[in-house]
Amino acid sequence: MGTVKVEKIGGLAGYGLPGSRLKSSGETATSALSPADQAWVEASFQKPPRSQEAGNERDTHRYRITRTKDGRDQTIEVPEAQVPHALKACVTDKLL
Amino acid sequence: MCCMCQIVPERVLKRLAADRSYSEEQRKNFADTIKIDTELRRLRTQAARLTRVAGLMAEAPTVAPAPAITVYDCNHGQTLPGAQILNPATSTDQTARHVFSETKSVEAFYAQVFGRNSIDNAGMTMISSIHYGVRYNNAFWNGSQMTYGDGDGSIFLDFSSANDVIGHELTHGVTQYSLQLNYTNDAGGLNESLSDCFGSMFRQWEANQTVKQADWLIGKDIMGPSARDDGYTCLRDMADPDAKHCLSPQPTKYSQVRPGMDPHLSSGPPNLAFCTIAKAVGGNSWDQVGQVWYRSMTGFGPAPNLKMTAFADRTRAVAAELYPNDTALARAVDAGWKKVGL
Repeated sequence: MGTVKVEKIGGLAGYGLPGSRLKSSGETATSALSPADQAWVEASFQKPPRSQEAGNERDTHRYRITRTKDGRDQTIEVPEAQVPHALKACVTDKLL
Repeated sequence: MCCMCQIVPERVLKRLAADRSYSEEQRKNFADTIKIDTELRRLRTQAARLTRVAGLMAEAPTVAPAPAITVYDCNHGQTLPGAQILNPATSTDQTARHVFSETKSVEAFYAQVFGRNSIDNAGMTMISSIHYGVRYNNAFWNGSQMTYGDGDGSIFLDFSSANDVIGHELTHGVTQYSLQLNYTNDAGGLNESLSDCFGSMFRQWEANQTVKQADWLIGKDIMGPSARDDGYTCLRDMADPDAKHCLSPQPTKYSQVRPGMDPHLSSGPPNLAFCTIAKAVGGNSWDQVGQVWYRSMTGFGPAPNLKMTAFADRTRAVAAELYPNDTALARAVDAGWKKVGL
């Protein structure tokens, strides 16, 4: 079923921004996700959630989620509050 | 105001009271009437005064009470707000006590320095949640409350341990209830910058530091041991936004700001402008320059898509309005913005 790559972006500390010394990333096998989380991934790639800018959340993270389908990478960015715990938990924070 | 409104004028009563063609009893009645009228006039005058005072009291604005400050414990979960800590000021949880006292201090800072009553200037309850998530490396404002993670203990310490972080998050609320800035492009950068400016001002105010004594670092107190070992001293440096000791260096010129850039990057130029202006003026950042920034943020109504050029021009105009005889301040504000290309 493939792999889902996850990267945490932004927040108060500015993870993953150009020039940032902070990176947070990881990956998980799609088969390791619960059926509900697998369904969330599929639905999110079909119809990406609204952008973070529309709400009043400030300093929250965004998650960049990438999967390979039919030999091509597909990437979406999702506000932190909408990402399933299993996906958020697969990233590791690192200093570059 | 005429108080001589009895049917028989006083001078007539006096003449009648002295007229010996009337009996002694009649003259005494006329004299008593004068006394009674005099007392009635005094009573009417007093009643009129009381009416005026009561009217003024009815028109006086009611002063909203100081806002309530509440703290909740997420107990390492991610459901907000979590379980309320009933007496955070005396809690056995050191983080709860610290967040309560620092939030109270930010409330005092806004009240005493800027005359603002809480986040919404109407006494809104200040809600904080602590111990959010597991080793969670962030703090945020979710539109109605502040939230703090404990940090992983390696790169970051407890995010609530830094008073500028608390001031930063709370100021996102103030911006939401004043300028209502969006979180993208110029407005997003201004939004982040206002939180850094007021967060830094709060930190300086608590330490009673002048602009020369201040270090102008954002997030210094949340740097964990591995970050410090690698030479990082802060998230951002308002005096030197692209410095190597910043975990998240920023642009220093407005010409480097790009559409869609993360607000934590595009806040670099306005941060540098504020710091440059405050240093040029000297003294305490929250005195003149802070007043100019506060009025520019809260005195003109919502402007969700405010451009940085418009905000810069607004601060120039506000400086001239608030301090019309201070040419040094006007020059400093102008030069500070020009330094970053605005």
